[in-house]
This record gives sequence, C-alpha cells and structure tokens, in this order.
Amino acid sequence: MKLNTMAAVMSFVTKLENDAALFYQGWAAKFEELEDIFSAWSKENKTFEKRVKQTYFGVITDAIESTFSFGRLDTTDYEFDSDLPEGANLQDVKKMAMEIEATLTNFYFEAAQQSEGLMADLPRLFKHIANKREDRLTKLSL
Amino acid sequence: MEAKKIQNYIDGEWVDSKTQDYLEIRDPAWGELLAIAPMATPREVNDAVKAAQNAYPSWRNTPPVARARYLHRLIALLEDNFDELSMVQTKEHGKTIDESRGETRRGIEMVEVATGIPSLMQGTNIEDVAMGMDEYLINQPMGVFCCIAPFNFPFMVPLWFIPFAIACGNTFVLKPSPRTPMSQVELFKLMDEVGLPPGVVNLVHGGSEVANGLIEHPLIQGVTFVGSTPVARQIYRKCGVEGKRVIAQAGAKNFIVVMPDAEIEQTLVSLITSFFGNSGQRCLSGANLLIVGDDNFYRDFVDKFVDMAVNIRVGDGLDETVQMGPLQNADSKKRVIGFIEKGISEGAKLVLDGRKLNLVGGVPETCFLNPSVFENVTPDMTLAKEEIFGPVASILRTRDLNECITLISASPFGNAASIFTNNGKWSRQFQHEVVAGNVGVNVGVVAPMAFFPFGGRKDSFFGILHGQGREVIRFFTEPKIVITRWF
Repeated sequence: MKLNTMAAVMSFVTKLENDAALFYQGWAAKFEELEDIFSAWSKENKTFEKRVKQTYFGVITDAIESTFSFGRLDTTDYEFDSDLPEGANLQDVKKMAMEIEATLTNFYFEAAQQSEGLMADLPRLFKHIANKREDRLTKLSL
Repeated sequence: MEAKKIQNYIDGEWVDSKTQDYLEIRDPAWGELLAIAPMATPREVNDAVKAAQNAYPSWRNTPPVARARYLHRLIALLEDNFDELSMVQTKEHGKTIDESRGETRRGIEMVEVATGIPSLMQGTNIEDVAMGMDEYLINQPMGVFCCIAPFNFPFMVPLWFIPFAIACGNTFVLKPSPRTPMSQVELFKLMDEVGLPPGVVNLVHGGSEVANGLIEHPLIQGVTFVGSTPVARQIYRKCGVEGKRVIAQAGAKNFIVVMPDAEIEQTLVSLITSFFGNSGQRCLSGANLLIVGDDNFYRDFVDKFVDMAVNIRVGDGLDETVQMGPLQNADSKKRVIGFIEKGISEGAKLVLDGRKLNLVGGVPETCFLNPSVFENVTPDMTLAKEEIFGPVASILRTRDLNECITLISASPFGNAASIFTNNGKWSRQFQHEVVAGNVGVNVGVVAPMAFFPFGGRKDSFFGILHGQGREVIRFFTEPKIVITRWF
C-alpha cells in the first residue's frame, strides 16, 4: 500500500513499532543475555511512536503539505516477518532483530528524505530515530 | 433512528431551541444524517446576547491573569481531545483527517497566543506630560461581541476571535455556519467543562436571520465575520449604520506565480496543496497559476502539475490514503461544475476534467469532484476573475514578473499571492509591489500564524483591524486615556 499522507505514515509507524516491540518483549523473556537490552528497546519503540505522534500533532498545520508530502513510500518495502520458531537459538533471534532494525532504519531515512522540503520537525525526528536504530544494529553485530 | 438534535448553549446551559425549523447536517462523503441543527428564534438570540451582557461586568473585573488560566485549562482539554475534534470536522465538512488535524492545531495555537493577555493588553504611559502631570493609556474591554462563522473551517475560524475576545474581558456569542455546526458544539462542550462563568460564551445556531439578529442587537459592540465578499460588504455597511466595529474577512481569488528558476519538485507539492487542499474550499487556496518561462519550461511544468493532480486520491476524508475529500454539499459541487462549464464556453482549454470521477472506497458521487485544470485562461474569463471555491486550477501564461504583478493588481480581490523563485530580486519586487494581504515566497498557502494578523485587502477584507495577533486585541478593546495631576 502506498503511504501518501502523514496520517497514513503515522498509522504505519504505530504498526511497525508495535510489531517490533512485541518481538523484543517476547524474546527478552527467553534469553537472559538479551533480557535487559530487548526490554529497553521494546519500551523505546513505544517512545518512538509517541514522539512521532506528538510531533505530528504538534507541528501539523494547514500550511504544511502533509497530505501530499509522501509519494514514494510503500508499506510492502518495510514489512517484516517477526515470527521465529519456539526453539530458535540466540543467533537466529539476533539475526531477525538485525533484519527488523535494518528495515526500520531504511523506513525512517526514506520518510525523512521525502518530507524534508516541507516539514522541519518530522524529518528531524525521523532521522533521529533512524540514527538510534543504526546504533542498535551496531550493538547487535557485536 | 431519530437524528441527534443540536442544542444552543446559552448562559452556561445546553438548551433545546423552541424553533420548528431544523436543518439536516449530513456527512458529505457518505450522505449519512449526522444531526439536525436549529434555526434559533429571535428570542433565543436575544437570550444569548442578554446572558453575555449580564456576565460582562463580573467577567471584565476578573483579572487578566485569571482569565488566561481558563484558557490554559481549555488548551489542556483541546489537546486531550485532539483526534476526536479532528474527526468531527472531517465528518461534517468532508476534509481529510490530515487537514482536520491541521485545523485543530491552528485553533489551539489561537488559544495559546490569547493566554498571553496580561502582556498583550498592556497600555502605555509617560510621566510629566506637563509639570507634575502624567498621562497613560489603558485598554479596556467593551462588552458583547459576536462571530458569524463560515462552513469551510468550522473549528478554527471561531477560535480566531473567541479566545482573544474573552481574554480581553469581553463576552461572546457565536453563530456557527448552519452547514457545519458540530465542531463548535464539541468546542463549547470543552468550554463548559473548563468552567467559564455562565454567559461568558454563548452559542446560537441558525442562518442569516440569526446573523442579522446579532448584528442589529443594540447590546452587540462589534461583529466578526468570515465568508463571501457580497455578505462581508453587506455586514460592513450594516455595522457602519449601527455604529459597530467590524472585522469582515471576505472572498478571494489568489494568484500563484511560478518563475523559470523555481525549484520544480518542491513547488509542485506546494501548488497541489494550495489548489486542491481542502478541496479548494479556503480563502487562501491558489486559484490562478501564472507561469513565466519559455515554451519548454511551461510545457514541462504544466504536464507535471496535471500529472500530480490526476493522481490525487479522492474519497472519504477519514480514509488515511485519501488526499482530497468531497465538496461540503451537493450545491457546492453544482456551483463548481457551473464554473467549469463556463470556462469551456468562454474558450479555456480543460486539460483535466474533474467531473469525470475517479473515487476511492466506494463513496457515492453526490458531493465529489476530482481536480480540474484549465489552460489558455485569459484575464477576462470568468474562471480568472471569480471565486470558484472548489478544486479548479486556471493556468495563465505570462511574459514576465511585471505582467504578473499587473494582473494581480487588476483583481478586485487581495487576500493572498505567492511567488515561487530562487531569485531574491524578483521575490523582493513581488512582496513590495503586489497588492495582497498575505504574500508567500515559495509558500503555497500563506496562512498567518496566530501571533500575526490575518491580512486581506481590497474586496477580500472590510474593516480596519484584522483578526489574530495584536490587531485583534486592539479590536476587542477600547483605549482610555487618563491624565493625572495631584495637588
């Protein structure tokens, strides 16, 4: 599905962050090594969603072209499968986490780029979240 | 199921109207009956004004800082109900949910600015205007004001006036548009929850009879109005006769100039919003697109503009993938179609015909139009001269900036004008010479922020002081000069 309005982007952000949070929450309980970091990321995902919503509601005005700002975002490019078999090992989980974070990093960078000329606060936040996710990728690769 | 009856809000109470005359409020996207709104009786209008007058003495004696605290509480409630307020706007008006959220935000910004009243309302003084004598100016409220609001921004426009008026110590009577009264009902529910003293704000529903009743009421000190030019002119005249102050913001025919050095991609997105946002139903919409440049630039730009307009998704504004909603009612659609037909008969070239509907989500066709684009429009055509208030763009080819400025100057309207360019000299010339109240440089919808006045000139504005910002504080107060000498 094409995301051509900020309202649609907001709903998709909610879905992405919730799906990723559920993944981290579920696997945090199963591997002691991941418990702290995955629990923290699960909470942080909620914060990301909240901040996007606050920023969107906070800066949107009828002078801002939110209805026409996004033309090339497609949900199919950013959907991820977070299902792993019950018996998945630590490496499988970390690999899946890296795929999720890479997908979300790409999404936020692309969203930032597409909205850059029009909305100052949102692209700045999108970039910030993308950078945070890059940090997560670095941690996962260690 | 019986339709929900909308009530008036008078003297701090929700009251049923005694009228037999009710108007149906329908969702323009689906045709669903949302509510029925009363056409209030003359007695109810009088009750509302009297309640406001009775509340005035004690409200004006409430310290400005305390009055501001009511507004702070209102802001908190508005934020808590942000999405619900936005949904109501989309339901009754048809605009997209993004546009409604934008409108809600703009409305809240007005209340935020009005909370600065202890600073905004301050007067001036000077010692020793003569030996041992001092002189000072104090700004005082005046009494009861009213607002006659339009249908196109049902939530925001009343907030251009109400928070400033009551922050200054006045009391208020609002008459929303009979086409879109529900947003104001929601706002007044929150104002009721804030606990404003009874009578400080009052809401009466109705049409022109209620409006006239308010304008002619001897206790009304001043009138604020946003709507069409003929009605604004009439209200301005009437207020002149009655000796009342007035802000009458009127119709528009806004020009957008694209110079050959403009940033094409960003310009196009801004133009699409300007011409087709809110389905063209706003006084700051682009209407006439003036393109300066050689044949290649012109062709390339117009083709891209039309291509973007074709791809706008039109449907129910609550569908998040939709970029343009319906016209607010079937009569509006009919009116816009009339302009399209006139454009064709006068010789303009219809390159994109919005009458050929391409709607998403299975909505009925009743109130919908897709975007229309005309080329070969000349300044003498109806399309170029009259306010259409719908999703129709008229493209005029121009030789240079001077010709653009001449064309804009010749228009009887003067609400907004924009230029898209990277050239500082052109930009400077444009903003200096163009006769319009709101000027944009690489901005397609020149909507002034709450802390600036909402400009407007020629037939787009009748009055002296404008809405919003410091000017509206001046409108809602009367200066009193005091000169003192102590023996």
